[in-house]
Amino acid sequence: MIGRQAVRYIILLFMGLPVCAGCAGIILPAFGYFPPVGHTAFSLQPFYDLAAYPGLLKSIWLSVFTGFGASLLSYIFAMVFLACLYGYSAQSWLFRIISPLLSVPHVTIAIGLYFLLQPSGWIIRLLSPELTGWMRPPNLNLVPDSHGLALLAGLVTKEMPFFVLMGLSALSQVRAHHLLSVSQSCGYGRFASWFLVIHPVLSAHLRLAIFIVLVFSFSVIDMALVIAPNTPPPLAVIILKLFQDPDLNMRLIGAAASVVLIACIGVAGICWIGCSTLTDYGIRQIIRRGWRLSLPDFSGLARWSSALRNFCISVIILPLIFCFLGLISSVIWAFAEVWRFPAALPQIWGMRGWAVNADLFMQAGWNSLILGFSASFFSLVLAIIWLETQQSRTEQLTATARAEKLVYLPLIVPQTAFLFGLQLLLITLNLDGQFIAILWAHCLFVFPYIMLSLSAQWRRFDSRYTDSAAVLGMGRAAQLIRVKIPMLGIPIGISFAIGFAVSAALYLPTIFAGHGRFITLTTEAVVLASGAGRQALGAATVMQMILPLIIFIVVEQLLRLRYRRFSAFRF
Amino acid sequence: MLHTSISVLPVFRLFLRAYHHVSFRRSIILLVSLLSLTGGVKAQTTDLQMLSQEAKGQTVYFNAWGGSPAINAYIGWAADRLKAQYDIELVHIKLTDTAEAVSRILAEKTAGKTADGSVDLIWVNGENFATMSQQGLLRDDEWAFSLPSFALTDPKQLPALVNDFALPTMGRESPWGRAQLVFAYDTAYLDSPPASAEALKQWIKANPGRFSYPLPPDFTGTSFLKQILLETAPDKAVFASPPSADAATHLAPLFDWLDEVTPYLWREGKNYPANYTEMVRLLGDGELTIAFAFNPAEFSNAIAQNIIPDTVRSYIHEAGTLANVHFVAIPFNASAPQAAMLTADFLLSFEAQLRKADPEIWGDPTVLSMQKLSAMNAAQFEALPRGVASLSEAELARTLGEPHPAWMGVIEAEWQRRFAR
Repeated sequence: MIGRQAVRYIILLFMGLPVCAGCAGIILPAFGYFPPVGHTAFSLQPFYDLAAYPGLLKSIWLSVFTGFGASLLSYIFAMVFLACLYGYSAQSWLFRIISPLLSVPHVTIAIGLYFLLQPSGWIIRLLSPELTGWMRPPNLNLVPDSHGLALLAGLVTKEMPFFVLMGLSALSQVRAHHLLSVSQSCGYGRFASWFLVIHPVLSAHLRLAIFIVLVFSFSVIDMALVIAPNTPPPLAVIILKLFQDPDLNMRLIGAAASVVLIACIGVAGICWIGCSTLTDYGIRQIIRRGWRLSLPDFSGLARWSSALRNFCISVIILPLIFCFLGLISSVIWAFAEVWRFPAALPQIWGMRGWAVNADLFMQAGWNSLILGFSASFFSLVLAIIWLETQQSRTEQLTATARAEKLVYLPLIVPQTAFLFGLQLLLITLNLDGQFIAILWAHCLFVFPYIMLSLSAQWRRFDSRYTDSAAVLGMGRAAQLIRVKIPMLGIPIGISFAIGFAVSAALYLPTIFAGHGRFITLTTEAVVLASGAGRQALGAATVMQMILPLIIFIVVEQLLRLRYRRFSAFRF
Repeated sequence: MLHTSISVLPVFRLFLRAYHHVSFRRSIILLVSLLSLTGGVKAQTTDLQMLSQEAKGQTVYFNAWGGSPAINAYIGWAADRLKAQYDIELVHIKLTDTAEAVSRILAEKTAGKTADGSVDLIWVNGENFATMSQQGLLRDDEWAFSLPSFALTDPKQLPALVNDFALPTMGRESPWGRAQLVFAYDTAYLDSPPASAEALKQWIKANPGRFSYPLPPDFTGTSFLKQILLETAPDKAVFASPPSADAATHLAPLFDWLDEVTPYLWREGKNYPANYTEMVRLLGDGELTIAFAFNPAEFSNAIAQNIIPDTVRSYIHEAGTLANVHFVAIPFNASAPQAAMLTADFLLSFEAQLRKADPEIWGDPTVLSMQKLSAMNAAQFEALPRGVASLSEAELARTLGEPHPAWMGVIEAEWQRRFAR
């Protein structure tokens, strides 16, 4: 038993140490303590210097607007999406459309939007010169736009599917069908049932996902480098620039900026909780008063409500369509030799983008593959160990639930805040730039996502199967390996694919832990996004898209093959 | 001769400023040692044989900006040659910004890592060199002067070889190539290009949205600001020494110029290209009519790669354009210093310099002195093809010396204050 606890502590240490050390490496310099450049006295000077940084307020506003706006919009979209489609047949095909989006790295989506929407982008090429009369690209701030709307849209297309999937998993836990039929039998309409009964339960289940999305949207860097305005950029980009400035004293200001970013996220989180508490209060009042919120059932109004539903769905789908078109234009660029404005399609097709960088893509692709596989596999093993050591101590469930929150720490602390400190830790351990360090940094992010996707299914496992195995004389290890893992093959396989996609998308951790020595498809795409030809960028984007997708397809086919004889194991 | 006076003067002023408190006698000694630096650099030549014995099998992590496929391919070729010649593994770490590597080395120094560092060789000049030098991040045993290939250069003829942005290199970095700011325009939209800061201003105002410059502190973007500064300032000489209290007065003409043109820039000056390659790409898309780069062969290369149409031609300003030398340096904690030295020597060799100067490969002008090469080798440089959009050496003769690197910070800060908000 003690051994079991020890294992859990080791896993926590493995996840928590880099984050805590990283945070210390930020907070101390923020308050003026940074011995490398001779600052050994605590002071608030870095904050004063930061306050004088040009464009700071606008940059903070940009971060808050895109970060909070994208989180809120994607949450609302996902909720409306679920309310409109949960339980309908359309659910399955829409689900099929959005789930691949989850596997596409953030920066790929950003590059796609950039290819599509900028003044010399595909949409304007398609419309010009016939409809617009433009022979040259117009001088418009489309992407990046001055308000960060492009970044917001990119984040929404990426976070909405995340909320939908997390929501679907939560819905199956709260037995939504059951709740829905009970509330509908009490005279609540479908939307009223969703809003009054299911949403409060769902939002409580999604709180962790909400914080993950908030933190991510506030601190996103790779997407912001491609499609956010740059005078000034969002705060996270300023932090990165300050940390990379040759003048070491800038680190102090960067650390102070990180603290400000954390504070912004904290305030945003509190606002969110406040809003949701208010909504819950309102809902309670509505329920107490017995309002059914239903429209009188005249036939005309019923038609309106279905029109409204269709309208909602199209609004939600619009960013997804943009996103797909963007990805298609990346593919076209990947095979273009010459594509001058305003031609709708390339004048000359070719493989230049691939040929110039063939060696590079091979190496980057191989690195992404190896890293994704090992990070995902290692995290999966850790997750299974974590979940298994937990279950036997049901009496301490509350304590373990509290400990489990720590597992998600790397997702709840902004990357920008702890990665520099982590770099120092790695150098001290003499691990910097080595594969094991990059693997560790990736696991910090892959492990929590695997936990997110696996833990619910794991806990719902009917323990009578393992009990029967125990009765038949199997040891704990045999129960796990011969009964539980095979029966949970589908969620394990899907978690693996998700873990791979998470690893493939990571930018900042790869740069910081890998010294820039370790190139992946994502780091190459960011380099190419600000240079060279569009052909090479398109080719890199295509590589980025297909790698996680291939993993998803392979995993799916393997699972199908393995479970084709069992009718109970359907996707 | 003009060249020499421009480059030596700032160093001299720098020394006078830095040492005005020490005795006259000492300043004479300093002056003499300074002259010996710019003149004949004397250092023991490294024994290549012995070095290659020690370097065998080592891996050199060469940290160099990686945004240009042409340069990346050239470094790839160098890696193959080094492997064959010395059994050295050259790994190109592609940076989006050299400051990334500088901050990494700094982090290593912070953590007390004095050996086995992650960077063996780094492509630097100007501000990054000044920072690294000042923070003690560079190997400082005058190794660069001891390289056998260094004898093929002539610092007397080209003082910038040992004075990086007016700072003496002290043998802490080895010259690799030369660069000069070159403008280009698309003849499809423009007949005769505006060849001065004043003409450019008028043209931008008459043609809104068709000109931009890379977002400072991007290297090329800041270089453009310095170009305008040197053209508009009434007294160029002040920029040879570090900025003093009245810096703002000297910078006023530049910022007046910028204030006037910014509303007429591409995207109304609300967004800027990230670097020059993006700017060249925008020229190819027809978004811009005029672009510029810090490499005279850039536009011929871009035409060859179909990035821009073949209607693009180069030009430079009548007053001349900014020119400098770029270098490679070895960090104090390099894990393979011998192999890094061999690499630096190879990059400076006739073979590597000739290939680098070929516009179909990279087109970066050589730092070697034609007088120090054999007649046959010099003829090979003469015989190199010129791209359709490249200027001749004679046309490129009008150059402006770099201001003291300390100005860069002042210009960048003021630019941030005015335009990045």
